[in-house]
Amino acid sequence: MNLFRATLTFTSLSLTLLTGGVCLAQAGPGDMPKPGSAAGGAPAAAEEAPVVSAGGPAPIIEAAGKNTALVKVNVTFQPWNYRIPWQKSSPGARRGLGVLLDGNRILVTGQIVADATYIELEQADTGRKIPAKVKAVDYEANLALLEPATAVKDFFEDLTPLKVDADSRVGDKLQTWQLGRVGDLIVTPMEINKVLTSLYNVEGSMFLVYETIGIIRSEANSFTLPIIRDGKLAGLLLRYDSKNQTATILPGPIIQHFLKDNADGQYQGFPSLGVEFQITLDDQFREYLGLKKDQQGVYVSGVTKGGSAEQIGLKEEDIILEMNGFKVDSRGDYKDPKYGTLNMSHIVRGSSYVGDELKVKVLRGGKEQTLTGKLTRKNPKDFLVAPYLFDRGTNFLVMGGLIFQELSIPFLQSFGNDWETSAPLRLVHVAKHTDDYEKEGKRKIVILAAALPTRSTQGYERVGGAIVSEVNGQPINDLADLDKVFKESKESIHTIKLDDFPKLLYLDAVTAELDNQKLLNGAYRLGLLKRIE
Amino acid sequence: MSRLLLLPAIAFAAMVLPLKGEEKPAAVPPPAPDSANRTQPGDADPFEAIVRIEAAFLQPDYRIPWQGGRPSSGSGTGWLVGKNRFLTNAHVVSNSTKLIIRTMNDPEPFEARILFIAHDCDLAMIEAVDPKPFEHLKPFQIDGIPKLNTEVIAVGYPIGGDRVSVTRGVVSRIDFQSYSHSGIDQHLAIQVDAAINPGNSGGPVLQNGKVVGVAFQGYSGSVAQNVGYMIPVPVINRFLKDVEDGSYDHYMDLAVTDFPVENPAQIKALGLEDNGLGVMVANVDGASCAAGLLEVGDVILSLDGSPVYTNGLIRVDGELVNMNEVVERKFAGDKIKAEILRKGEKKSVELTLKRYLPYLTLGEQYNQRPKYVMYAGMLFQPMNRNLMEAHSIRDPLVNYVFDNYMTKEIFKERPEVVILTTILPDEVNSYLQGYQHSIVDEVNGVKIKTMKDLAEALKKKEGDGKFVVIKLLEKNRPLVLKRELADAAHPVIMQKYDVSEESYLGDE
Repeated sequence: MNLFRATLTFTSLSLTLLTGGVCLAQAGPGDMPKPGSAAGGAPAAAEEAPVVSAGGPAPIIEAAGKNTALVKVNVTFQPWNYRIPWQKSSPGARRGLGVLLDGNRILVTGQIVADATYIELEQADTGRKIPAKVKAVDYEANLALLEPATAVKDFFEDLTPLKVDADSRVGDKLQTWQLGRVGDLIVTPMEINKVLTSLYNVEGSMFLVYETIGIIRSEANSFTLPIIRDGKLAGLLLRYDSKNQTATILPGPIIQHFLKDNADGQYQGFPSLGVEFQITLDDQFREYLGLKKDQQGVYVSGVTKGGSAEQIGLKEEDIILEMNGFKVDSRGDYKDPKYGTLNMSHIVRGSSYVGDELKVKVLRGGKEQTLTGKLTRKNPKDFLVAPYLFDRGTNFLVMGGLIFQELSIPFLQSFGNDWETSAPLRLVHVAKHTDDYEKEGKRKIVILAAALPTRSTQGYERVGGAIVSEVNGQPINDLADLDKVFKESKESIHTIKLDDFPKLLYLDAVTAELDNQKLLNGAYRLGLLKRIE
Repeated sequence: MSRLLLLPAIAFAAMVLPLKGEEKPAAVPPPAPDSANRTQPGDADPFEAIVRIEAAFLQPDYRIPWQGGRPSSGSGTGWLVGKNRFLTNAHVVSNSTKLIIRTMNDPEPFEARILFIAHDCDLAMIEAVDPKPFEHLKPFQIDGIPKLNTEVIAVGYPIGGDRVSVTRGVVSRIDFQSYSHSGIDQHLAIQVDAAINPGNSGGPVLQNGKVVGVAFQGYSGSVAQNVGYMIPVPVINRFLKDVEDGSYDHYMDLAVTDFPVENPAQIKALGLEDNGLGVMVANVDGASCAAGLLEVGDVILSLDGSPVYTNGLIRVDGELVNMNEVVERKFAGDKIKAEILRKGEKKSVELTLKRYLPYLTLGEQYNQRPKYVMYAGMLFQPMNRNLMEAHSIRDPLVNYVFDNYMTKEIFKERPEVVILTTILPDEVNSYLQGYQHSIVDEVNGVKIKTMKDLAEALKKKEGDGKFVVIKLLEKNRPLVLKRELADAAHPVIMQKYDVSEESYLGDE
């Protein structure tokens, strides 16, 4: 009876967890794991938990033992609202496990700490809790390091830090570690079937993963399950598909890369290649490209502005034949000495660091040539349209009730999972075609998102989702420009030019300032008229 | 103005009744013999000039454009408007292959044909092939706009009955409405609370025995209750006048988007007096009759001497209606005088009205054979509403182009947006699967603006002519076929998939 009740409790906890995960999944790209298939790395999808309690296929428990390296991590998070940018959404909770590494550092996934407001570490057996803070985080690689918020002497003394294993291969036997209700270690075996590159969570986050088969129990702390090989940390659970019982694991090599980059305290992040390529299996296409029978390689169909590829001089229509000495085949794969056939993106993203040399042999105009240069990284803040925003709200400015903000992918994603068709199509189109705007000199796309009803915005209720091109004759290339124009303007009426309907708006400068004050303290209680970071 | 902007997000159900699976209504008990209201033999039946129209349709399938389409049938109502001239809805007779008229007192079917059809206002005029049987019937007289809250009756053949049905109600509202037949046109329409049901379509709405409207649409499902719409007399009269010269010339359109002038700063900046007059021009379409004459930021003060209010309304025949009603009542080549305020200066502009064609792409098309070009299994079709729906196109770029075809003036660069809709699988194109639902930008070095361009460019030899190179808009690689292989595969694919003709580019 008691047991049954305990299971129920866990189920409801898992539910909370899943909500947290879905929240994150929204911030990720459209082709995230299916909802329900453990979005956010929580293996306890709502619908499968009862099956466990109903005595379905019993999970294989190899050995129950004592926990030696794990702590519970409890996170309260509160994401900003992208449509009402001065507000935050209601807080939620995520519970997961953290892995103790040397130097009293705790490794977790990036997801669990996204938009965190309070993080605490909990000793699994005693229940003792201490507050913690984020030491380093990389949302693309989905990894974070935590440390105690204040120095604590004896919190970790019963635990032994784990070392990272970066040498797992296909066929290796792994274990999933989970903690039971009183901190007992629950061990589940699994085996690596495949190694490939796959999307993590946020846009553009293609990295190495292991795929394994094995049943994972539904337990309370399901975020960030450590995966162990021979007593070393081989990875963290990224997602679990309960229907097919396959788990995707964020692997040791990526963890090692993250830790190594962090070692000097100056985190640079993973380098990016910035190339879009097409496979060349099509004989007719190959003949058209002038590829010989024995020549492999892929066709470059796009080069990201500001990426490594652009900087070393790679161009559209080049054929990539080799990368850092590895032959690239017609599918864009190379033979990795450790993992076998793998997408060439791993050469850059997984095994190189910012500043390393990049050497690409291409076929251009029928001639082979080698391009070399240094690997760089395009940071999310350098994107015209931010691919993700965590731990910060979107930049915005309210003037007299008109809400201006910088276009970002999270703003578009706030229109729902099918945002690519349900968000304003013009804005979706702009977000995917930033080149022209970058050429114009824009650093960000400033949009008039909506109008709050005030005296200044009388008659403007229907306006929204329009790109701002000029205010008082000044071009607007980011929100700081707009702020400056409003501040320095001597006009009694601001003239706002928009790319879209109604193209032209007027705002009384004095009334707008008065309305601003009313919005701050009155009905809408904005509390903040702008955020420009 | 006929824009999608103001389309209410509610599905209209056109009132044609499908005949298939029709259920016979339950038998009505015979009337009591001593009823005072009983029709006496020899009485002229007031509703005899209201006929049932049965149509057989052929709906083209845009997914298989080379085939004839799917046969179906339906029925509606029509009424005599002149000697052997029956008025009905366009949607009752659209795509029809055969039309039959039946009167209430004669079981014999009479063959009929379409004289004029106006898809933009959902009206059609048909005639009986043999006028004799209808010679004794008296045409209906047409009245005007009925007053609000006055009683009207709707007469027709709803729910498939053989006998005429009469329902009664009052005029509930007079307003601009979307006409669901084309999906893109808006005209004046009158809302009545008389029951209007499938089969009523095309039937007259009468007041004191005269026609005050043509029943044409209502809401489906539980959106609204007791709401039916009729096409009012101004629209009917315009249609009748338009066809007097033997052809229907359609509605004219300003293609100007207006924006209300309610904001004090806006009033001041635009140099207006605060007197409730004037509406701002927010967009002038490049292909409209106002292009070059009106500009964004102009304020329209009056049209043909009638003041335009800040919300874009104007008074016509005593009713406040959308200012486009002034345009609605005019014909091709008519002039319209607009008083405007530009940068504080009053100006007078004369516009010569013309039809605004780009918007047709966004509307439902009828009585048209779908255009297409087939080459080596690749099916190319021009973008339009029927196509978007038939292929359920989800591609974000195609949807963006469809949505912004007018607002971003895409029609200037691509009068016909050519889409690769389907690839019939064959060895020759097996690596091209996945590129369906893309816009064709260039073929063999030729920019594709129309279907005709495409058909010609496919045959053009670029360079050594060894390859056929198709560049798709924003799809990251060209589709390349070896001409010799593609040319050889082409007839085989046509035969295998039973494609009778390799293209249909319209009647020329």
